[in-house]
Formats: sequence, structure tokens, C-alpha cells
Amino acid sequence: MTESPTIGAVVALAALLIGAPLVPGLAARAKAIATGRRGPPVWQLYADLWRLARRGIVYSTTTTWVFRLAPPVLVATTIAAASLLPLDGRGSVLRFAGDAVGFAYLFALGRFVLVLAALDTGSSFEGMGASRDVTFAMLVEPGLFVALAALGITAHDFSLTAMLGGTAARPAAGVVTPALVMVALSLFALSLAECARVPVDDPTTHLELTMVHEVMVLDHSGPDLAMLLYANALKLAVFAAIIVGVLLPVPRRGGVMGVGSLLAGLIAMGIAIGLVESAMARLRLPKVPLYIAGGSALALFGLILLLR
Amino acid sequence: MTSFAELVLFLVVLSDFAVLAMSRLSACIRAIALQGLLLGVLPLVVHSTLSAHAVVLGVGTAAIKAVILPAFLRWAIREAAVRREVEPLIGYMASMLWGAAALVIAFAVAAVLPLHSVETDLLVPVALVTVMIGLIVLITRSKAITQVVGYLMMENGIYLFGLTQSQRVPFLVEIGVLLDVFVGVFIMGIVVFQINREFDSLSASRLTELHD
Amino acid sequence: MTLFLIGLALVLAGGVSAVATRRGDGRRGDVLYQALVAGGCVAAAVDPARVLAGRPAVTLAVRATTPGGDWVLGIDALSAVFLVAVLGVSALCAVFGTHDLRREAADHHDGVRRPTWFAQLSFAVLVVAIALVVAARSVVVFLGAWEVMAIGSYVLIVTHHEVADVRRAGLIYLVATHTATLALFVMFSTWQVGASDWTFAALGAASPSLSAGARLAILLLALFAFGFKAGLVPLHFWLPPAHAAAPSHVSALMSGVVIKTGIYGLLRVLLMLGGAPAWWGWLVLGIGATSGVLGVLWALAQHDTKRLLAYHSVENIGIILMGIGVGVLGVAHGAPAIALLGFAGGLLHTVNHALFKSLLFLGAGAVYRATGTRNMEELGGLARRMPWTWAGFIIGAAAIIGVPPFNGFVSEWLVYQGLFAAGQSSELLRLALLGIPALALIGALALACFTKVAGVVFLGTARSARAAGAEEAGRGAIAAMLLLAGTCVVLGSLPPLGLALVTGAARALAGTSVVVPEAVVSSAWTISLLALVTAGLVSVLWAVRTAALRRRIVRYEPTWGCGYDAVTPRMQYTASSFASSILGMFGRLSGARVEKTALALHTHSVDLVLDGVALPMWSAMHRVALRMRALQHGGGRLHFYLLSILGALLALLAYLVVGPRP
Repeated sequence: MTESPTIGAVVALAALLIGAPLVPGLAARAKAIATGRRGPPVWQLYADLWRLARRGIVYSTTTTWVFRLAPPVLVATTIAAASLLPLDGRGSVLRFAGDAVGFAYLFALGRFVLVLAALDTGSSFEGMGASRDVTFAMLVEPGLFVALAALGITAHDFSLTAMLGGTAARPAAGVVTPALVMVALSLFALSLAECARVPVDDPTTHLELTMVHEVMVLDHSGPDLAMLLYANALKLAVFAAIIVGVLLPVPRRGGVMGVGSLLAGLIAMGIAIGLVESAMARLRLPKVPLYIAGGSALALFGLILLLR
Repeated sequence: MTSFAELVLFLVVLSDFAVLAMSRLSACIRAIALQGLLLGVLPLVVHSTLSAHAVVLGVGTAAIKAVILPAFLRWAIREAAVRREVEPLIGYMASMLWGAAALVIAFAVAAVLPLHSVETDLLVPVALVTVMIGLIVLITRSKAITQVVGYLMMENGIYLFGLTQSQRVPFLVEIGVLLDVFVGVFIMGIVVFQINREFDSLSASRLTELHD
Repeated sequence: MTLFLIGLALVLAGGVSAVATRRGDGRRGDVLYQALVAGGCVAAAVDPARVLAGRPAVTLAVRATTPGGDWVLGIDALSAVFLVAVLGVSALCAVFGTHDLRREAADHHDGVRRPTWFAQLSFAVLVVAIALVVAARSVVVFLGAWEVMAIGSYVLIVTHHEVADVRRAGLIYLVATHTATLALFVMFSTWQVGASDWTFAALGAASPSLSAGARLAILLLALFAFGFKAGLVPLHFWLPPAHAAAPSHVSALMSGVVIKTGIYGLLRVLLMLGGAPAWWGWLVLGIGATSGVLGVLWALAQHDTKRLLAYHSVENIGIILMGIGVGVLGVAHGAPAIALLGFAGGLLHTVNHALFKSLLFLGAGAVYRATGTRNMEELGGLARRMPWTWAGFIIGAAAIIGVPPFNGFVSEWLVYQGLFAAGQSSELLRLALLGIPALALIGALALACFTKVAGVVFLGTARSARAAGAEEAGRGAIAAMLLLAGTCVVLGSLPPLGLALVTGAARALAGTSVVVPEAVVSSAWTISLLALVTAGLVSVLWAVRTAALRRRIVRYEPTWGCGYDAVTPRMQYTASSFASSILGMFGRLSGARVEKTALALHTHSVDLVLDGVALPMWSAMHRVALRMRALQHGGGRLHFYLLSILGALLALLAYLVVGPRP
């Protein structure tokens, strides 16, 4: 448990951090191509981040230090959560018993500060977005934990390193049971809810009354906005890494193959999200709980299958 | 049990019947005062050994039951300006008969009650009869003062019963009983004065006209 | 043990000093009071701390002539954990309370002059009573201290007794606590039948020879009585009114400490019984999960800050019970490792909750003192007016949600691990795995609830003149709050400290042969590392941004209003609207009721148990009693009523004569 992180883990984490903005870019590009357009370049988000980072900031007069705290905390918690994953297929940078709980609750910390920042502005739009965001979070958390519990039962360990690859307890190579596929699908569905993508929230809409996550970051600008956009992309990448870990049962050798499979996973996730976005419209707000419940139910079925 | 103690207990029973028979309120109070004095003497004679605890208990009991409480009741009579009791609900003759019946029941029951201790072969029946006669007074009299006297008699009966336990469980019975008396009298005192002030009368049958 | 008793005596002396110094402006009296009470608490906490650090348990027996045997006090690992929490929180609440009461007396908010010395004396007596409950080792001491604690709490709850709601809350509390005490009497009497005397040691020795029926009765009665005190659903209904009506430092003490005595009682009964059957563990786990979910759901529906925090206490008691349930199940299934995790999690959450809940109540109290209202919909923007209170409150909120690096995370992490370890076994125990999503739901609802409170009360702009004119709390009050916040941060970033605190008691409950697995200990250190890394990353990013912004333009403009210029504070999201989407999903279960007329919309919350069950039951009993009152004095029948007493006496005598011999 206190083994020092391997070079491979650190490299994989760096690769994830660097490659994260690719995921939304791939999604936008895939969606555009699927609907017959050319679409923005895949590295659009990098350009956006660079542009925003070079700008100044406009702060609302209503806001306090909480508003300024949200972007660094969100990025930091997402990075810390990513460091708990065995990104190269072997080990993670940080690991402790039951760190699946730490993983989920680090995201909760980020969400807490972000919601507070939204309420800090005293704007009714941001309040609305915050309210919707915590509602969706309430629905997603149990489902996420069911999925994590299912993975834990498979690995006989509640630590992410054991659940998603790593050297130890995953059973025989090449066996992707239906239960695990269901868990992976459920995680995909839940990640769309957690990261505010279609069908839960449309990142391209800018009508205040229909936004969820977008409206929460309405008053952020410049480097703050860059950090928030990056954190969102990183969250998507983290979920992609988890799904890769679930679906690739081969104990991956570290080094190049580990990082390679990670990057391939990111690309696949981006494309998948883009295809989903092109095929579906955003769900009406009352239908979103049903969608999330459906995703959680998938995980529950997977868990029950594994418990038998 | 010494014959002196038996004499005292006999006098206690007599005072019970005195309250049952008498119609003048001041006489009832004198009877209960006498009973209190007798009860004060009892701890000193009922156990074969004389202890400081018994002396304190006796003196305190006599002070409260024979002096303070009757004085308080006499003051109550003066304030309310009542003299004589009206006929009890079942008549004086019938009250005496019921008192006698209570005596028989008490002695019969005490014989078969599962209690220990030899030295108390007269205490328990006297305690029971005092309680029951106190209850009869409480039930059949209409003046509130006499009902207070009946209540005090009940407390005396309980105290007598407590005497049988005082060697085994020191202090607790005494404190409980004395506190009881205080509480009872205080409450009744307040009630009596309130009734008198509101209705210019101490008749308990008028109590039933209270509505909320 | 002497230091413990001296400490308690000092606390009592503090209370007496409040009476003695009641004339005068009160400043010197306050200093003396705080010094004595806080000093006494610290002194009394030395003995428990020593026991926790590894010294053996201590006992003290006093011969007494009262029925019930000797008066025995003792401090073992279990008592020590609770005592440390009790005394620490009490000291800080006393400090806050003194400042709060003094400020109230100076403000004369309601024109009522109220003597503060009585509240201070009652507080001191209450603290001593709670400490004695936790340290009691014989039934007489336990029940006596329990009753003093109940009455003391009542007296403090009805401090503002001129308000009808406060009196009502006090009455509900009194009924509830005495029902619990009655159940305790029955429980102890049932237990004592086979024991030699009324000390806990004797009761524990008699436990193996208890009949199955007696054991069942004891388990159920203990759950009922201590659950009533702790605030389990559906026995929680006295909590919200009482906590809202009481002065803030009293609410803090009650929520942080008094309801924990219920948990303590449960654990002590478990220790004395030597374990409980599995069905009881499932019952506790189920009730815990239900209390957790319903508690936080009902909290979400409140717009009174103190009622919201009170319902949150119900939720946290639910989490504690989930841990205890896992522990009991572990013992019952012969898996001491699982039991250790469950009990450790439950115990640590007890300590943590005492810390952050009192912090939150003190913060709410400071807000109430500054603005004069507890209604969230009238507040807002207080973060600028009361920055220190806000600092304490946000730490308390983060801690109660359970995010790292605060202490709530550590205890919830332990409970999760216990649930997961249970889920790994191959028997019926695996169903415990379903507790994991329940706990996750609780956490997510708590996040919604506390972002609502923190956001609506402290952030944004002020919604009323009262909020706009708020002043920061006094230095003493801030010191108390920040100290509590500091402990939350310390316990959260140093999990091994928390683990060390509860290991002794958890091992006693789980079976002393088991030790904390090495994995858990080293993981606790890794969590520390994680906290450090996260904090480091935040600092680095903040520093980078600050450096970058130095060369950029930073402007300050009003919040974006979609091009609308005349934005008013009333246009902000309200607390009810924030919570409405979640509450709507739960329908009538959430207790939120909406009344609509053609012109206005009004939401209020009802307590399902109080308004749906307890009060109707009470009214029904009242109606029956009114009818039976006719027996007593309707139409000259007083004498018959008295005759019935004589009849009862004769019947009893007859029973004694002809009935079975003992």
C-alpha cells in the first residue's frame, strides 16, 4: 500500500492530464462528421484553454473568496482522483484501502465548491443550475457506488487499483463477463450524467433556462473558465480510463502498452460520446431521473449477477 | 413486641374510630393530633433496641404530625369559619359499622399476608385498618377539611407500615412519608383556601360543579 | 479517577459562581464561569485521555445505603471516547453560550429581561449529568444522571418560555424523554432478575443466563429507549422542535452530545450483553439507513436553519447506526474484522458528528444573534458581514458532507469499508452491500442540503434588511467556532489520530483479539498524503493564477443578469426552489407541503411522524381521557371515584391473600 508509485504510473497520469482535452474535441468532431459537417479540429479545446488563460478576468462584485476558490479546487480534486486510478494498467500514483470511496468523494468536494461558487454570484440562473446539478448528483452517486461495489466484488478489494487492472486479484485474462459489460455500460451512462453531456445536458446550448453545468460557470471568465473547462474534460477522461480498466481484462504490461491502451481508450470514449450526441437530443428535464435510474439499474443488475 | 407498644397501637385504632364518629371539626383535628403523637412515640417502643435514629424519627414525626399539621388545619378552620360537619354520606352509624368491618378485614388479611418479621404482629393490621378508615373518611365526608384529615390518616397508616421496614431500609421510608405528608397538606391547603374563596363554602359536593 | 471528579466539581462550581456573581455587569462573572467550566471540562478529560492512550480502565465504587447497591463509576475505552467528545464540546459550547447570552441580554431583542445565571447554572449541571451518564457503572447512577440530564435539557430548552412554540417544543421533548426513561426502567428491571445487584458488572455477569424472552425484551427495549434519545426515525419527532426552540449553544450541546448518550447506551448494553443476534444487527442497519435517508431528505425541506440542522442530526445518527449494525453483524457472523471496521466507523462518526454538528449549530446561533431570524429565505450575503462565522460554517458543512480532507470522510470511509467487507462474505451477510448505495445517497443528499444552507444563508446578496445589517459575532464566540473547525480539519487530515481514538473501544466491542489491519492503518496515512497533495495542488494553482493575473486586466462588474439591469436580491434562487427538484421526486414523503392560492404560493414542511402519528395519537388519548374524566367528578360522583380507590386496595389485599404465594 505504501509502495512508491512506479514511473509507469506517473507517466500514465501525465499522459492523461495532457490528453484529457482531446476527449471533448473528439466528441465534437465525431458528432459533426456524423451529422454531415466538418466540425472543429480535434485540438480545439487546447486552443480555447490557451486563449482563455491569456485573458483577464471579470469578477462579479457579489462574489467572495469561494468563487475564486472553485476552479483550483475543481482541478486539484479531479487530478487527485485521477491519481488513484491504475492508469497504466498496473499501479496508481496513490493508493489506499477503500480508495474507491475517496475517488467518489473527491468529486463531491469539487462539486461542493463549484455549487457554492455558483450560489455566490447571487444570480438566479446559476442558482437554478446549481439546484439541477445537485439533483442529478443525488441520482448519480448511488448508481456510481453500485458500479464500484460490483467491481469491488469482482476484485475482492475496494481499492481502484485492484478493481481496474493492476497486478493482483482480477480473474483470468480474456474473460469479460456480461456482468462487467453491464457495469461498463452503466458507467458510460453515468459519466454522461456526471460530466454534463447529452442526454443529460447539452454543452453547446447557451439558453440559460436549459443549461445545467454550463449555467453554473456562467460568471467565470479567463483563467478560471479555462480551469473549469479543463476539469470537465479531465473528468471525462477519468471515466474513460475507468471504462478501459473495466473492459480490458488483460493484465496490461506497464510502459508503452499501458499508456497506449489508455490513449486508445480516451479516443474511443470521445468518439462514442460524439456519436451518442449526434444520435440523441437532450432529454427533457423530468426524464433525466429516469435515465440515470436506468443507468444505475444496469449497474445493479451487474452487481446481482456477480453476487450470485 | 412490648405491651406498651401494643397499648399505643390500640390507642391509634381508637383515634381512628374517633375521627369516624365525631362531627365537630376541631375534635377531628384533635384526634388526628393525638394519633400523630402516638405515632411519634412508636419508633421508640416498637423495636427492642433504642437507637438515635429512632429517637430522631420519633421526635420529628411527633413535631410534624402532632403539632405543625394540626395547627395548620386549625388555622384553616378559622379562616374558613366552619364549625360543624354535616351528616356524612352514609351516616355516622353506618360509618362506624364500616370501620368495624375494616378492622376485621385488616386483621384477617394481615394474618395471611406473606410478610416476615415477628415483632410486627400488631403493626401490620393497625396500619391496614388506619389506611382503610382514612379512605372511608375521605370517601364519605363532604367537608374538604375532613377529607384532608382522612388523607392524613391514610398517610399515618402508610407510615405505620413503613415502620415494619425501617430496620432494613433506613431513612428512605421516613423521608418519603414525611415528604408525602407535606406535599399532600400543602396542595390540599391551597385547594381548600381557593375553594373557600371562590365559593364561600368548603363543601366538596360543590367541587363537581367545576368545569373547564 | 480523582481528576475526573475534581473536573466535574469545578464545572459545578462554575455554575454556582454564575449564581453568586449574578449582580453587576456580568463581565467578571462570565470570565470566572468560562474559566471554571472550560477548565473543569479539560481537567475531567485528562483521565479519559489517559485511558485512550493505553492506560487501563479505572473504576470507583462508593458504598451507598440507597436501594440499588453501590454507586459505581468507571472509565473504560468506550466511556473514554464519549467523555473526550462530551467534555471538549461542552467546554466550547459553554464559552460560546456565555457570549451569546450576554449579547442577548444586552440586545433586549424581545424586551424581556432574562437572568442569565439560571441558564448558566443549568448548563453546568447538564454537563456534569452527561459526564456521569457516560461514566456510570451502576443502574442507580445511570438512571439518576439520565433523569437529571433530561430535566436539565428541558429547563434549558424552554429558556425563552414566553414563546408558545418553545413551550410546546419543551413539552414534546419531556414526553419523549420520559417515555424513553420508562422503557429503560423496564429494561433494567428485566435484566436484574437474575443478577446479584444493580451494578453493570453484575448485569454483565448475569447476561449469559438470561432467558431468550428476557434477552429479546432487553434488546428491543434498549433500541427503543436509546433510539428515542438518539433520534432514530420514527422516534425522532422531538428533535426538530426542541433544537429549534433552544438557545444555540444548548442546541449545539444537545445535538452534539446529548443524543450521543443514546448511542453510548446502545453500545454499553451491547458490551454488557456480550453481543447481539444477527437479526438485531439487520434491524439496526435498516433503521440506520432509513434514518439517514429520511433525515437528510426532511432536512432538505426545512427553511429554518436550526430545524434543518436538527434533521441532519437524525441523518448522522443513521450513519452511526449503520456502522454499529455492521459491527453487530460482524460479531454475530463470527467475523471480527468486519465488526471492528463497523464499530470503529460508527464510533468515529459519533466523535466527528459531535464536533462538526456543534460547530454548525454555533454558526447558526451566531447568525441568529446577528440577524434575529432563523428563516433562511430572509438571509443571504452574510459571508461578507460575518467572515469568521462563515469560515467556521463552511468547514463544518464540508465536514458533514464527508468530503476529504475533513473528518466526516474518515468515519464514512470506515463504514463503507465495513459494509464492503461484509459484502465480501459468502452468506446472507452479503446483503449488507446494499448499504453502500444507501450511504452514497445519504452523502449526495447531504451535499444538496448543505450547499443550500451555505449558499442561501451566507452567499449571494442579502434578501432582507436584517441580513444586510448583520454584525460579526464576538471574539469568544468566534474562538469557540474556529477551535471546533480546527479539530475537524486536524482529524480529517490526520486519520490515524481518529483511528487511535476509537480503536480501544471498537476492539472491546468487536472482540479484543482482533487488531486493526495494517492495511487500514497505512491507508489512513495515505489519506493524509492525499489531503496534503490536494491542498498542495490547490495552492499551486491559486499561486499560478494570481501570478498570471498580475499582468492581466481584472475588472469587477455586477453579476450577469442576461442583459437585465434591475436585478434585485429577491431574484436569487431561494432555499425552497433550490431543494424543490429533489423534494418533488420524493413526493409526499419529503414532508414538504405546498399551498396555492390564486395570488400566492406558500411552502411549509410537516414532520410526518409528529403530525401524522404522534400528535393524532396524543389527541386520541386526550379524547379518551376526557371521556374517562366523567368517571371522576361528573355530577357529584367524586365520592364514587374515591370509593373505587378503596375497592382497588381491597382487591389487591384479596389477591395477596388468595393468590399464589411468591
